[in-house]
Amino acid sequence: MSEKLTAPLPPLPPVRQWLPPLVIAWLVPGGGHFYLKRYYRGAILGGCTAVLFILGLLMRGYLFEPMTGDLLTTIIYVGGAIADRATGLLYLLAKIFGYNAPDVAGHSIDYGTKFLVIAGLFNILAMVDAFEIAAGRKD
Amino acid sequence: MKMTLTHFEATLILAVFISAVLAVVTKKTDEERFRYGMRSLGWFFVTVFGLAWLMYLGHR
Repeated sequence: MSEKLTAPLPPLPPVRQWLPPLVIAWLVPGGGHFYLKRYYRGAILGGCTAVLFILGLLMRGYLFEPMTGDLLTTIIYVGGAIADRATGLLYLLAKIFGYNAPDVAGHSIDYGTKFLVIAGLFNILAMVDAFEIAAGRKD
Repeated sequence: MKMTLTHFEATLILAVFISAVLAVVTKKTDEERFRYGMRSLGWFFVTVFGLAWLMYLGHR
């Protein structure tokens, strides 16, 4: 008796309709929304991602490299590496310009590391949002 | 150049950005976004101050 009535999702449109905004959204935070002419959303999402990423760098946060071991280590390091790389060009530029802060203890560095990861999670949210707009599943 | 923030400053920055991003991606109208963002920020503050007092009292 607990059936939920949900509207079926519309069929997925052709790849060329949603792939470009998705890739642009990954490479340039907020770029997918600008491509789709959602300037206000793009500015807020891109601005929040970029500012948080830059603050993370200024606090000497650690950019994760994938590492496996016990379950917790794998989740933290692989998950962190995926989230860091989700910031697209911000991550690539940081690496190109030689950013390589060590993974050491300290409250400021810890916050910086979290800022970098959360910037990546923001961009994943922005990518999903851009995809849904491009696929016609969201206004 | 290295930036050092206090726990409170870092938490405040995170709360503002998380509230803004969640409001933008989850709500449809500007009014809904504003209300959601303010409510989220308020709950962040309540939680931060509540946990801070709990830790303070727990370590006395």
